[in-house]
Amino acid sequence: MAMRRAIRTSERLGAWAVLWVFGGAVALAGQPAQWLERMNHALTTLDYEGTFAHWDGGRVQMLRIIHRLKNGVVSERLVSLDGSGREFIRTGSDLTCYLPDKREVLVEHIPSKRSLIGTVPILNKETTRFYALHEGAQERIDQHLTRLITVMPRDQYRYGYRLWIDRAGMPLKIQLWDARHGGRVIEQIVFATLRIDRNIPNSAFQPHLSTAGYRWLRTQSPPAQKNSGLVWHALWLPPGFHMATHVAQSMPGAIGPVEHLVYTDGLASVSVFVARPAHAHAHPPAVESAHMGASYVFSTFVDGHRVTAVGEAPARTVRSIAVSVRARRASYSALPGGPFAHAVPPP
Amino acid sequence: MNEELDSQLSAMFDDELPAAECELLARRLSRDEGLKARWGRYALIGAVIRAERGVVLQSSLAGRVNAALTHEPLLASGSGAARWSVSPWMRMVSGAGVAAGVAALSILWLRAHALAPSGAAVMSVASVAAPAAAAQGGAGGASDSYVVPPASAQPVTPMPPTQLADYVVAHSAYSWPISGGSLLSSLMVSEAGSLSAPAPSHRRAAGHGHATRHPH
Repeated sequence: MAMRRAIRTSERLGAWAVLWVFGGAVALAGQPAQWLERMNHALTTLDYEGTFAHWDGGRVQMLRIIHRLKNGVVSERLVSLDGSGREFIRTGSDLTCYLPDKREVLVEHIPSKRSLIGTVPILNKETTRFYALHEGAQERIDQHLTRLITVMPRDQYRYGYRLWIDRAGMPLKIQLWDARHGGRVIEQIVFATLRIDRNIPNSAFQPHLSTAGYRWLRTQSPPAQKNSGLVWHALWLPPGFHMATHVAQSMPGAIGPVEHLVYTDGLASVSVFVARPAHAHAHPPAVESAHMGASYVFSTFVDGHRVTAVGEAPARTVRSIAVSVRARRASYSALPGGPFAHAVPPP
Repeated sequence: MNEELDSQLSAMFDDELPAAECELLARRLSRDEGLKARWGRYALIGAVIRAERGVVLQSSLAGRVNAALTHEPLLASGSGAARWSVSPWMRMVSGAGVAAGVAALSILWLRAHALAPSGAAVMSVASVAAPAAAAQGGAGGASDSYVVPPASAQPVTPMPPTQLADYVVAHSAYSWPISGGSLLSSLMVSEAGSLSAPAPSHRRAAGHGHATRHPH
């Protein structure tokens, strides 16, 4: 009964979302692109609550998510339903991680001041040069009508997605897949229940556990400082990638501001961080890497600076961008999409 | 063309290149000095990354390499070279995550280092100069077989986990909402027992960052 009610609500909001989102939509990339635009908008602006299964590396966990956008402030709460009791609550730019198994609470700050809407990718003719968008048949997921949209990468530098999107624009099922391996699914999320609710109370974003006796840890960063006069850039980028953002921000563990370069092809993005370590190393700095579901991190050292690339792209893409990063004097003109992009083969 | 070759080299190292292409690449590798130098550079980078437990060359890849290079000059030997590791790229399952996943990242990154034996608490080698040295070695070596270089006992300085967490949080602000949502949930995917907060000492040691106690 609750599910049927949720579906009806969802369908009503779906019609609303269509009108809202596509009043000014560009039909350039066709219907699949519009579905993705609709989904982006729904994910970031609708208020919803649901439970879902997250499959990653053969493990499955059940989670509950609550999302609300009220007066321009995003509130999110994610709760593990599998016994760990962990909760993650985001309010605006603060993310609080409750770890009952460690009796600790971590508070992290999200440095970007951009609105969530600002994160929505631009799907245009350029994007479709590197991804093929397909609109599949209608499919039912738990009696919920969805449309399958496939985002297929045209080369090996990026991942693909399969998205089952309902009429409200919510993705009820998401698969991240690697085209290089016959479409191997890397990660999957499937909603078991989903309810659009425009009246989610503040109490829904309170932790359901007592933190008495917990240790609280918070990272605090001073304001950004002026940079060193060096301009960092990637000598090699995959086709279609360009610099979208270049900011300097203060971060713990670095002398001076950390350069943050964001390269994107419209869907996938790779951040490059360049930092001068706060302490001289007694030992050689480590080159490190890690996989995190869809994301990959690679860190190396260039001219005494730690260069770290993070991105939801294949390891090869992230690694190649990171090892191509170099500095030049600020007087040399820079670069969004600049003169060095594609100038040399991947290192 | 270079791009294609690099892509193939990289795939070979990732153990993702089809056998037929692998054979062709190996033949080309045996007669192309430039490519060989590039191979050396890849070899070192790969070794550095894979060396968290410093063992031997991945068996299937080792077979291909040996088949291709049995009579070829030494590629990646020399002082400071790292061992190969049995382990593939560190696949620390966590997910993507918007900010939330990020906390897990730092944690899992920590865990990866904790896995290493005490003598090599972190990856064995990683100086910036290593790739260049490897490339030179690859071009000018004179051995008649591939040699797995010895592991360095020298410790290295890893990235503070809180720094990594901050990076991922910062990156998540620019991710597609889908990737962000995936990340959010991945934190929860990690095993409860494996999740541990960065030690306070790390946080205090991280320059401007510091841990503070909050009233409840």
